Amino acid sequence: MADATPDLPEAALRRLGSSGFSSGLSVPDFAACLDLGLQPVSLVQGYCVMRWGWYGAGSGFMRGVSPWVGGQQGAGSYSETYRCPHGFVSNEHRMWGQNIEQKWVEDAWAQGYGTAYARMLEEATSQGAHGVIGVLDRVSHLADTGTTEFHFLGTAVLVEGGPPPAGGVPWSTYLAGQRLTKSIEAGYMPVSVVAALASVRVWAYCMTEYLMEGARTWGGPTGPHEVEQVGKAHMAVRQLARKHVRQQLLGDALHGARIEVEKRELSQGDEVIDCTLRGNRMRRFKEFDDVPVPRPTVSLR
Amino acid sequence: MNNAAGADLRAEMLQGAQSLAVASPPTGARGITSDLSIDEALLLHAAGWEPVDLVCGVAVVSVPVGVWNWGQGAISVASDAHNAAVSGAAAQLQAECAKVHGHGVAGVRVQVEVRTHHIDVELVGTAVRPVSGHEGGRPPFVSDLSARDFTLLMGAGWMPVGLAFGASFVYAPRRTAGVAMKQKTQNVELTNYTEAMYSARSSAMERMQRSALDAGGHGVVEVKVTEGPMSFARHAVGFTAWGTAVRLVAESHQYIRPELILPLDDAVITFEAQSLRGK
Repeated sequence: MADATPDLPEAALRRLGSSGFSSGLSVPDFAACLDLGLQPVSLVQGYCVMRWGWYGAGSGFMRGVSPWVGGQQGAGSYSETYRCPHGFVSNEHRMWGQNIEQKWVEDAWAQGYGTAYARMLEEATSQGAHGVIGVLDRVSHLADTGTTEFHFLGTAVLVEGGPPPAGGVPWSTYLAGQRLTKSIEAGYMPVSVVAALASVRVWAYCMTEYLMEGARTWGGPTGPHEVEQVGKAHMAVRQLARKHVRQQLLGDALHGARIEVEKRELSQGDEVIDCTLRGNRMRRFKEFDDVPVPRPTVSLR
Repeated sequence: MNNAAGADLRAEMLQGAQSLAVASPPTGARGITSDLSIDEALLLHAAGWEPVDLVCGVAVVSVPVGVWNWGQGAISVASDAHNAAVSGAAAQLQAECAKVHGHGVAGVRVQVEVRTHHIDVELVGTAVRPVSGHEGGRPPFVSDLSARDFTLLMGAGWMPVGLAFGASFVYAPRRTAGVAMKQKTQNVELTNYTEAMYSARSSAMERMQRSALDAGGHGVVEVKVTEGPMSFARHAVGFTAWGTAVRLVAESHQYIRPELILPLDDAVITFEAQSLRGK
């Protein structure tokens, strides 16, 4: 992802060119880093600010009108259509509903996240670093101005006496300190941080709308009833996030995953569900040593 | 840390770095995904288990209009909706786990949201299986125990069998005008509320225990409860209880016999700037 010839701001080059090092590590993490034979080089960062909207080029802006109008769904993306079981009732009646994967939102997120990440790696590469540890990332909406900021921060390190990573692209991990040490001891080498956003829009059809507002409908259930459309959208958004992340794993393992779901309700049953999944892509470089069963202890105070 | 251990660690780090120094050939292998921390993964491994996949289950169940209107006795429609949502989400979690050949789901995070017209349940956890790879004879278990508790439980000869859940919603009956007037200036027990809470508690606990027995468990550990009036219907009280149903799989309970240790660290002396000013 990183460019071989870094194109960094002058101030960054000046800072990175000085003889001292900087690091975002806490003192215990710094000590653990030296124990591992990692030499901190520099605190590296990457930013990217994106204009943010849910409706734009490629979006399904007109989708509320008919299942066939609006942005085209790419091949392999998720969508499900639900049809009204009542026949024509009125103009306000929601004759159809749809769950659709908002590919344009996912792509924009991946672009913002990927760019900020690449910029952090670029700073690390310019220092000849082998890896970036203790990565922190933050995705925040800046004020209420339709902008989203992607922010990365980490500590670039050199493996003393170690070879540079393949292709010169530094490895990266959210881990640092003892957690990183334990991973290495267990035979897992960090490859990169991975993350993906999945976004699903629920256009409710009449049955979903009725069920979500508690209305009893003719021909509809009288007791509690599963709201299939919304339940499926929730499952789909989580599975999509997992699928997007798995595509970046290329056979490696994802450890310490963190899943976050944000839901915006627009009206009864109409909602946008965003799911972010991030974690450490790790590669097994040796077999697990047999770990002894830990002994339970009780401490006297 | 002694020097030898330090050298080992550095050698391992170098070995790791060398593994990334050569571009790896593309592999068709399906990488595992897990939300366990490295400590949890190591603990599980020590007990002979490994993570397989991050799995989830979500169910949204509607609550018909008018259910929360003031009435008498148990609000069985709401309790049914709650139970349907929990079992629907757990069934999806089990199906996802079975698909990746997991034997169960550990460390499940339970999120329940009771809204006026729908109840949303979300379960997320990591599917696990024994490293030895033998097939499990039973349907996958669902457990909200952490990897530490799971390991300890197995060491003691028990296994989780499923998530035990019980919920009950009950109306606090209206007081008569006479009683309300009489109680207006007194600090007295509102027996209608006490009785409603008791009723909700006992049916929810009973349902939880029943669901544990149905799953083949002998009991429930780590029971959590939520209770109180519903935010959108103050005259109705709700009580939910959930935990992990467990079953003794060894001949008898295995005593874990913890070792007593005496930490020699000094107690932390806290310094409070406020105390200097005599406050």
